[in-house]
Amino acid sequence: MTKKEKKTLNQSLAEWKLFIYNPTTGEFLGRTAKSWGLVFLFYLVFYGFLAALFSFTMWAMLQTLNDEVPKYRDQIPSPGLMVFPKPLTALDYTFTVSDPESYQGYVEDLRKFLKPYDLEEQKNLTACPDRALFEQKGPVYSACQFPLALLEACSGVEDPEFGYSRGNPCVLVKMNRIIGLKPQGEPRIECISKSENTAALSTYPPNGVIDLKYFPYYGKKLHVSYLQPLVAVQVSFNATSSTVNEVIVECKIDGSPNLKNQDDRDKFLGRVMFKVTAHA
Amino acid sequence: MGRGGKKGTVTPHEQNPSTRPKRGFKTGKRRKMKKKKKKTELEELKKEVVLDDHKLTLEELSAKYSVDLTMGLSPGGAQEILKRDGPNTLTPPPTTSKWAKFCKQLFGGFSILLWIGAILCFLAYGIQLHYKEESTKDNLYLGIVLAVVVIVTGCFSYYQEAKSSKIMESFKNMVPQQALVIRGGEKMQIKVEEVVVGDLVEVKGGDRIPADLRLISSQGCKVDNSSLTGESEPQFRSPEFTHESPLETRNICFFSTNCVEGTARGVVIATGDSTVMGRIASLTSGLVAGKTPIAAEIEHFIHLITAVAVSLGVSFFGLSLILGYGWLEAVIFLIGIIVANVPEGLLATVTVCLTLTAKRMARKNCLVKNLEAVETLGSTSTICSDKTGTLTQNRMTVAHMWFDKTIYKADTSEEQTGKTFAKGSPTWFMLARIAGLCNRAVFKARQETLPIAKRATTGDASESALLKFIEQSYSSVKEMRERNPKVAEIPFNSTNKYQMSIHLQDNSSQTHVLMMKGAPERILEFCSTYLLKGVEYPMDDEMRKAFQNAYMELGGLGERVLGFCFLNLPGTFSKGFEFNTDEINFPMDNLCFVGLISMIDPPRAAVPDAVGKCRSAGIKVIMVTGDHPITAKAIAKGVGIISEGNETAEDMAARLQVPISQINTREAKVCVVHGSDLKDMTSEQLDEILKNHTEIVFARTSPQQKLIIVEGCQRQGAVVAVTGDGVNDSPALKKADIGIAMGISGSDVSKQAADMILLDDNFASIVTGVEEGRLIFDNLKKSIAYTLTSNIPEITPFLLFIILSIPLPLGTIAILCIDLGTDMVPAISLAYESAESDIMKRAPRNPKSDNLVNHRLIGMAYGQIGMIQALAGFFTYFVILAENGFKPMDLLGIRLKWEDRFFNDLEDSYGQQWTYEQRKVVEFTCHTAFFISIVVVQWADLIICKTRRNSVFQQGMNNKILIFGIMEETFLAAFLSYAPGMDLALRMYPLKLLWWFCATPYSALIFIYDEVRKFIIRRHPGGWLERETYY
Repeated sequence: MTKKEKKTLNQSLAEWKLFIYNPTTGEFLGRTAKSWGLVFLFYLVFYGFLAALFSFTMWAMLQTLNDEVPKYRDQIPSPGLMVFPKPLTALDYTFTVSDPESYQGYVEDLRKFLKPYDLEEQKNLTACPDRALFEQKGPVYSACQFPLALLEACSGVEDPEFGYSRGNPCVLVKMNRIIGLKPQGEPRIECISKSENTAALSTYPPNGVIDLKYFPYYGKKLHVSYLQPLVAVQVSFNATSSTVNEVIVECKIDGSPNLKNQDDRDKFLGRVMFKVTAHA
Repeated sequence: MGRGGKKGTVTPHEQNPSTRPKRGFKTGKRRKMKKKKKKTELEELKKEVVLDDHKLTLEELSAKYSVDLTMGLSPGGAQEILKRDGPNTLTPPPTTSKWAKFCKQLFGGFSILLWIGAILCFLAYGIQLHYKEESTKDNLYLGIVLAVVVIVTGCFSYYQEAKSSKIMESFKNMVPQQALVIRGGEKMQIKVEEVVVGDLVEVKGGDRIPADLRLISSQGCKVDNSSLTGESEPQFRSPEFTHESPLETRNICFFSTNCVEGTARGVVIATGDSTVMGRIASLTSGLVAGKTPIAAEIEHFIHLITAVAVSLGVSFFGLSLILGYGWLEAVIFLIGIIVANVPEGLLATVTVCLTLTAKRMARKNCLVKNLEAVETLGSTSTICSDKTGTLTQNRMTVAHMWFDKTIYKADTSEEQTGKTFAKGSPTWFMLARIAGLCNRAVFKARQETLPIAKRATTGDASESALLKFIEQSYSSVKEMRERNPKVAEIPFNSTNKYQMSIHLQDNSSQTHVLMMKGAPERILEFCSTYLLKGVEYPMDDEMRKAFQNAYMELGGLGERVLGFCFLNLPGTFSKGFEFNTDEINFPMDNLCFVGLISMIDPPRAAVPDAVGKCRSAGIKVIMVTGDHPITAKAIAKGVGIISEGNETAEDMAARLQVPISQINTREAKVCVVHGSDLKDMTSEQLDEILKNHTEIVFARTSPQQKLIIVEGCQRQGAVVAVTGDGVNDSPALKKADIGIAMGISGSDVSKQAADMILLDDNFASIVTGVEEGRLIFDNLKKSIAYTLTSNIPEITPFLLFIILSIPLPLGTIAILCIDLGTDMVPAISLAYESAESDIMKRAPRNPKSDNLVNHRLIGMAYGQIGMIQALAGFFTYFVILAENGFKPMDLLGIRLKWEDRFFNDLEDSYGQQWTYEQRKVVEFTCHTAFFISIVVVQWADLIICKTRRNSVFQQGMNNKILIFGIMEETFLAAFLSYAPGMDLALRMYPLKLLWWFCATPYSALIFIYDEVRKFIIRRHPGGWLERETYY
C-alpha cells in the first residue's frame, strides 16, 4: 500500500515512458524489435493460413450453389406487397400540388421504373396467353409483355406527371418476385381507402387484376427482361378546396388462396399500407 | 521509541490514561483523529507488554494502586476510577454490517466490471431512445441481464460466505458475568464491567479471571492460560514473583483465562482493552487483512480486459467516424464494443468454481470462511505453524522410559498400536505401580467404549499421560488403586517438586509402601539404592552417571522427565497407622530409585509426511511457538521442519568445538530463535534470518512477535499462511495472507480471525488445501481461457457489421445465450479437471510474474483460437445467407437497406424480393446458426483447454462433468433452436441439419492446431512458442 502511495505522478510517467520505449534494452512496448518481428511473423503466417482456409471453404461452398435458383426458398413461401416509388421516410407520400419540386422525385422514380415497360423495350417479349400460368421448360425462358396501357391514367403516357400535378397521385403496387411462385385462383390487388369520404381510389388495370401469365418467375439469370406485373392506384381527393388532403390506403392481395395477406408479424406479407398527404 | 531501557515496549498504563478517557467521552473528536491515531496505536500494540507490577512488593503494590490489601477500594473511589477508565469490557471489533458485506459482494472485484457494462448499456439505450424514434431494446435487455447476473452472483457468494462464516462474537462471551470484589472491607458480587483498576478480587476454581490480577494470596490456585499462550497445561499461581516476564511469572493472572482449581486473591492491575488479552484483541481487530492473491489476480485480469475493450472500442469508434457514421452511432458502437468485451458469465463461473473447491475442501476438513481464500493456500510460499495442537497431538503422552539402565521407547502414535518393550522386567512392574498409584488423575465416567488414548481424564497433563500409559500397557489402574488403597499423600507443588503417596501393600498384608514421583534430580536426592532387574543395589557413581546421561538424553529430546522411587515402609507402620503429612512421622529418605518416564506432546502421525510434501512443493515451513526452544526444536526435528542432518549454528559450534562467534551463521540452514532475542532484533535482522535460513524455529514467542514474524515473511514477498489455535495466534492469523485456525482445539477468537478452519486440527489437511488451491488456480486459468475465447466470435460480428455494412451476423440475445447458457457448465466443468503433472512437486507460483490471466492467455484466446472460432461462425453465416439467395459479395454495403423496415422489396442475388420481416427471419436464423457454430467450436475449445501442456491423449477424457458439459451445451443449443415458441421468445429459429456441420472443419482445426502447439511446447521446453503462448 505505502509503496503505491509513494509513487508520484512523475515516477509513473517515467515508468510509462520506459515501457513505451526503453533505450537501454531497445524495447518498444516491452519487446525488442526482434521479438515484435517474430510475433508479427507468427501472426502473419497464422492469419495468412486462416485466410486461405476461409477462402477455400467459401469457394467450396459457392461451388455447391446453383447460379439460377437459390438452394432454399422456404423462407419466402408467400410474396410481400410493396409500393413504388418508395418515399424516403416510412411509406408517406407528402407533396405540394403547387410545388413541382416536392413531387419531382416521385415522378422521376416512376419514369425510371417504367422505362423497361416502354413499348420499344417490350417488342422482343412474348405476348403470352392470358389467365394461365406461363410455365416454360427452358433452356431459354421468355418474358411476357406487360402493356403499359393497362395502367391507363397512371401509365405516364397521357400524364407525364402521374397525376401529382393535379393532386391525384399515382402509386404503383407490386407483388414481390419469388422464383417458382404459382399463384392459384385469380389474384388481384384490392385497395381501400381508410377514409372513404376524403378520397376515392381508382385501380388500373381494372379491379387490380394480376394476370397469371406473369408466373412463375424463373430468376434473374434465366428470366432475362422479366417484367413484373403492376397495379396502379390513383388517389382522387373529394374536397379539392381544402389545403391539406390526407388518406391512408391499404392494399391486399386477394382472390388467391395460396398468397397470404394476413400475418401478425409481417405487416407487408401480401398487403401494404401507405399514406398520401397532398398539400394544395 | 526507546524510553530508557524499555526500547520498543509500552506498559498498558503508559498508554492507558491518554487514550482511555477519549474513548469514553470525546468520540466525535476521536473519530477525526482516528486515522492518524490508528496507525500509531497499532504500532504500539505490536510492542511487547511490559508490566512491572509482578516485581512489586505488596506494599508497593498497595501504594501504586492506593488500595488497602485487606479492605479493598472504597466504593466511592471505585466509582471514580470506573468513570475515568470506563467499563471493564473489550471494545468489540468493528464488525462490518451484513449490508456492508453484501455490498462488498455486489460491488467488489469482478462485479464492478459488469456494473460498468450495465451502466454503459443503459446509457446507450438512453441515447438511442432520445435521438431515435424507434430503437431496438437490445441494449436495455443487455443492461438488465448484466445487472441481474451481478446481483444473483453477489447473493450467491454472500450466501456461501455467510453460511461458512457464522462469526462468533467470542470476545463478548469470554468476559465473565460476575466478579467477587472486596470494597470497603465487604465482599460483594458485582458485574465484571464494573471491576476497576485497584480492585481487590477473589477468584476460585471454575471462575473466569475478571481482569489482569496481581495475586496477593492463593491456595492451590491453578489457571488455564491456554487461550492466551497456547500452553495447554494448567499452571500454578501464587503471590511469589518467579520470572521477569509478566507472562511467565506466577503472580499474575490474566483477564478471561480460567481458574481451574484453588482460590486466589489479587489486585486488579489492568481492565478492559488495556489487559493483555484486550491488547491482543485490539491488535487483532485493528489489523487490516491484505488483499487475497486471487483478488489481486482478478484485478489484474480486469485491467487487461478493460485495456483490450477500451482500445478496441476507441479504434472502432475512430474507424466508424472515418467510414462516415454519425457521432451518435459511433458512440453507440463504442459502448457496444466495450460491453461486448465484458465476459458476462465469467463472474458466475469463477464464483462457482471457487465454491466447488471450497465444498471439496470442506469435505476434506478444510472449512473456508472467505471464498477467495480457497486459492490463497495454493499460492502460499511460507507456512508459519504453531506447534501445540497443530503439529502435535496436544496430548501429553509417555514417550520413553528408562529403567534397568536402558531407554525404552513407548508408542506415541495416535492409534497406540504396536511397539512393546521389556514388560517382563520386575523393575517395569514396580515403575508401573508407582506411576499408577502415585497419581491423582482419573478417567471420567462412562467412557469404557472409547479407546484408552481418547478418554477424557481429570488431572494435569503429565498425570493423565501416565494414567493412560499404565492403563494401556500394564493393567487397570482402577483395580490397582482398589487393591492398594491410598492412606496418605503429599500433592505436587512447585517448591517440593515431588509428589508422594503411601499405599497399603498389595497382598493385603499389614505393611505400607511409600511411592514418590517428581523432578528426577529431586527424586535422586531421596534415593540411596536403585532397582536393577528387580534387585536393589546401593547407589553408586556409575548409576548416577547413567542416570545423568539418560536424563540429559531424554531432556534433550524436549521431553518432560519424571523420576520414580519407592520405599517399603517397615512393619512398625502397620495398618491403621496415622500418617501425618504436615509433620512427617514416617521415613522419607533412603528410597529405592526405579526409573524415569519421559513424556512429550508427540507430533501427529501425519505431520512429518505433510511437512515433507510442503517441502517438495517449495513451501517453507516455519515453526512459531510459545513453547520452550528445546521442546520446539525436538518437535521440529520430529516432524521434519528441521530436516535430518541439518544443524543450527550452535550445533555446528558444538560439533567443531569452536566458539559460536567463529561460525558463519549463514552456513547453518537451521535457526532456532528465542523470543527474547527476537525482541531486541531490528526488522533488518529479522529479514536477514528469514532470508538466510531455510529451516527456522521461533520459540517462546509472544503474540506480537508472531505478528512481526508474519510481517517479516511478507516483506520477503512471500504469501504467508499461519496456523494457530490460541488467542495468542489471532493477530498473526489475521495478518497472514491466509489464517488457518484449528476447529477442535482452536479458540473462538482464533477462528474468527482466520480465513480457514481445519475441522480435524490436522496439519496434513493443509497439504490438501495447498493441492486444491493450486489445482483451482490452474483450472481457473483454463476456465477463463475457455470463456474468453468465445468473446472473439461474439465481438467480430458487430465489428464487421460496422465496417462491411453486412447484416448483423450475431445478435445480443444469442451472445447472452452463449455466455450465460451454453458456455457456463463446460467452463465450470474445467474446475473438475485433474492436474496435468504433480502440482505438489513444483514451487509455489510467483505472485508477481505468474498471473492468472496474462497476455499469453489473452493472445491464445483472442488472437488464435478466438479467430478460428470467428471464422467458423462467419462461414456458417455466409452459407446460410448464400443458400437462401444472398451471395456474400451482394451483402457488402447492404446494411442500410437491410435494416430499413419500409424497404420491403429488397432484391437478393437471384432477383427475388424480400420483405423486412422475411429477411429478418433469415438474419435471426443466421444468429442461431452462428450461435450453434460457436457451440460446435467450443467443443474443441473445451477439449484443448483441458490441458495447457500435455496432449489430450495423455490427459484422457476422465472428467465426467466435462463430458456432461459438452452434452449439456449441445442439447441446450438444440433446444434453443428447435423448441417451439423460441422464434417468439428469443428469436431463435430451427436450423437445417447441414448447417450444424459448417463449423466442424474449424472445430477440427482448433483441435489439431492446439495439439501441434502443445506438442512443440513439450518438445522444445522454454522455446519461443512456450514463451509466447504457454499461459
